[in-house]
Amino acid sequence: MAYSSPLETLRRGDEPRFGAKSANLGELLAAKIPVPPGFAIAAGADESVFSDIAGHYRQLGDDPPVAVRSSAVGEDSAEATFAGQYESYLWVHGAEAICDAVRRCWASASSTRASAYRERLGGGAVEMGVTVQLMVDAAVAGVMFTCNPASGDRSMVAINASWGLGLAVVGGEVNPDDYLVSKVTGEILREQRGSKAIEYIAGAVRRDVPPDRRDAPCLTPEQIAELVDLARRVERHFGGPQDIEWALDGEGNPFVLQTRPVTGLKKRERGTVATDAMSLVMKQFGANAK
Amino acid sequence: MASTAPALGAFPSPYSIPTPPGCEGWEEMYPYYALFAEPRRAKDENRFWFWNSMHFPLPMPAFDVICIDSPYQAVGSWQNRVFAVPPAMGIDYRCVNGYIYISGNPVTDPEKIGERAEFFQRRAGHYYQNWPELYGKWRSKMEALIAELVELSVPDLPEYESDEVALGEDRNTAFYELLDAYGRVLRMGDLMWQHHFEFLLLGYGAYATFAELVKSNLPDVPDQHIAQMVAGIDVILFRPDAELRRLAALAIDTGVDGAFVQGHTPAEIDSELEQSEAGRAWLAELQQVKDPWFNMATGDGLYHYYGSWLDDPSIPYASLIGHVAALRSGEEIARPTAEIEHERERLAAGYRELLDKDTRPAFDDLLALSRIVFPYVEEHKFFCDYWFLTRWWNKIREFGALLAGHGFLQDAEDVFQLSRYEVASALDELVLTWATGGDALGPAHWPPIVARRKELLKRLADWTPPPALGVTPEAITDPMTIMLWGVTTDRVKEWARQQEGGTELTGAAASPGQVEGVARVVRSPQELADVRDGEILVCGSTSPAWAPIFSKISATVTDVGGVMSHAAIVCREYALPAVVGTGRATSQIRTGQTIRVDGSAGVVTLLERDGG
Repeated sequence: MAYSSPLETLRRGDEPRFGAKSANLGELLAAKIPVPPGFAIAAGADESVFSDIAGHYRQLGDDPPVAVRSSAVGEDSAEATFAGQYESYLWVHGAEAICDAVRRCWASASSTRASAYRERLGGGAVEMGVTVQLMVDAAVAGVMFTCNPASGDRSMVAINASWGLGLAVVGGEVNPDDYLVSKVTGEILREQRGSKAIEYIAGAVRRDVPPDRRDAPCLTPEQIAELVDLARRVERHFGGPQDIEWALDGEGNPFVLQTRPVTGLKKRERGTVATDAMSLVMKQFGANAK
Repeated sequence: MASTAPALGAFPSPYSIPTPPGCEGWEEMYPYYALFAEPRRAKDENRFWFWNSMHFPLPMPAFDVICIDSPYQAVGSWQNRVFAVPPAMGIDYRCVNGYIYISGNPVTDPEKIGERAEFFQRRAGHYYQNWPELYGKWRSKMEALIAELVELSVPDLPEYESDEVALGEDRNTAFYELLDAYGRVLRMGDLMWQHHFEFLLLGYGAYATFAELVKSNLPDVPDQHIAQMVAGIDVILFRPDAELRRLAALAIDTGVDGAFVQGHTPAEIDSELEQSEAGRAWLAELQQVKDPWFNMATGDGLYHYYGSWLDDPSIPYASLIGHVAALRSGEEIARPTAEIEHERERLAAGYRELLDKDTRPAFDDLLALSRIVFPYVEEHKFFCDYWFLTRWWNKIREFGALLAGHGFLQDAEDVFQLSRYEVASALDELVLTWATGGDALGPAHWPPIVARRKELLKRLADWTPPPALGVTPEAITDPMTIMLWGVTTDRVKEWARQQEGGTELTGAAASPGQVEGVARVVRSPQELADVRDGEILVCGSTSPAWAPIFSKISATVTDVGGVMSHAAIVCREYALPAVVGTGRATSQIRTGQTIRVDGSAGVVTLLERDGG
């Protein structure tokens, strides 16, 4: 059984071996959703897998920068992915450096949440998969939910966006631009301009954003529409609300970097229990009392 | 709406409102029961009253009080005595400095609520189940009533009665005929108001239920999307303007469009058209359209000075000029009904898909029910508030003309400065002295009263009523207050906050989009002529009959109204941003002030302290 695989060959069924992140990206690629290409390393792999890495890497181009991220395995993977997102190594160049980053992902897996994890999975080898993905040299990036996370409204897409790589938004280093968009009509229903003081540019270099760009909107209405369309497709594919990391490259092409189910979504109180229309009308008039 | 546990009173006591300087004695214009009188102080001070600026943005002339009494008699009858809406009886009103405050009477006894629920379920159920048939009958009733009103003649008082009266059978003298006619015209008004409210509560209720179902599942859905899913495609309210568009196209097709020159009066345009055969044919076509489609009011109908397009053709002619110009420059002016319908279905399908499977049947049923009942909600305005009421005011004017002809008034229009009882009294004296040949006191008695009241109304118009009086309720629970006025707990909190000042007004997000511009505060239809291109209309509420204004302005802000208010409906139609139900836009915003209207968020921002 191979311990490594190109992302595009992975499907949902590969999640127990490759972890949720890699499996989800494989699904997205299969659904023709723009995802930067890459490869995945299965949980349980050891250093013998390093011999495959150079080959996979060559497929991605001529020494391109990649992101190396952990891809947790197990029932708890959505949460684990979240915890694991800090084990991301951006702008990694060369097979050597990739192997080194993979090693560090494994190490982090056995330190942080790992003890509880290992107990559950019966100990032994490392249970953490790794995703290696081509870097997008993002002009703008951020996070979007295919619902309003504050209210649970599934007819909304909530977008956070800032300049440069998504790191600034994910790490909470900026006040991103904040949009609430109707999934049904595409109307922008709420728009809050953030103050985006820093950005990460090529090489994952952190720098100050020039003052004239800080308060300027980083997305055009057309780009917002494209992102919302992407959000809809991702959600439809997985059949539930998604939390999506995205980026626009220098030409404004949108990419999905990762997606996971929205967890901890506020369960809506079912004030209006589905029942027949006339009972609901009666209730509106306070006439449901018996 | 009254609360059992009053919160801190952010609003003034109704008993603490001072009389504006020079307005002493304003109470004489209103019935004794309309006042915050001492004997009921203990109760009235502990209720929540809000200014009904949606229907009564201006101080009430004495005669127009009938348009408070009759509607509240009618709405209370249906709500409380016929349908027995379980938690809410009717609406009380009081007058302060000429402005109308209202407060609902809640039912709090659970046993009573249960008892009423049985009535309501049976009776409202009957209406919902038989709606199209009942509504069809309703339209016939209204059309018959309007025909009867138009036919009613106000008899003259001849020096000698005719031979027919003297020698014929079954005849009445003018004294009886005149008093009878006055009594009948008042009763017809009552009947119209009775019809007006027969379906209204149930219509709004079905809609509100649908809105609630959507919102409880998808809380951020904009109110205007809900309204769009329900709104009728081919509603009567759009018909008058549709006819104008058709006439504009006809003018171009028959080559008479040259008559429609910007700035020309209707009379000038008509006389130009009279010059040619094609022009005369166009005028004949216009004549066909006028009845009933020119029975649109220039305002929301509840004041006597809101006439119809028939009374003031400058409004439809301004529209005609605009439509002709648009057609000439190659614009498509027909209402895109296919698009509107497509959009309405797209929204409905889009939201439906996002609901749980087990919620979809209720969504489907409520949407279907809302679409069945909504034509009434939209169309009753045309039949009652516009067509009937503008004709009815004119009928009252005829009595005014009679009184003026006998020196009781200086002008027919002055009749509206007298209460309906005073008019009855003046008519009594008129027929008495006509019959006896004696001297009438009326000519000495009434004109000074009229003059004083005109002055009072002028001064009261400068006073700014607070949005609410009395105790702040903890929550607004009265379904009628919420459904008909859009007065919710949040809205009241916002009013309370605004008592302390601020540069932001919030209201219902009625029509999306953001616009910055110069405000134009309009408090009466007469002021519409002042509105300049691109200004933001700020008013108590609007009427769709203000159609030409909507092609001029860039956004609308109103004091009161929900997303189903007419300002909201028309603004969506014209794709203008609108924030409705701000509570006090007309008092906080000055003409000339730069403001920003965010119709998507429901926020109005005052960008400079005051107008230029």
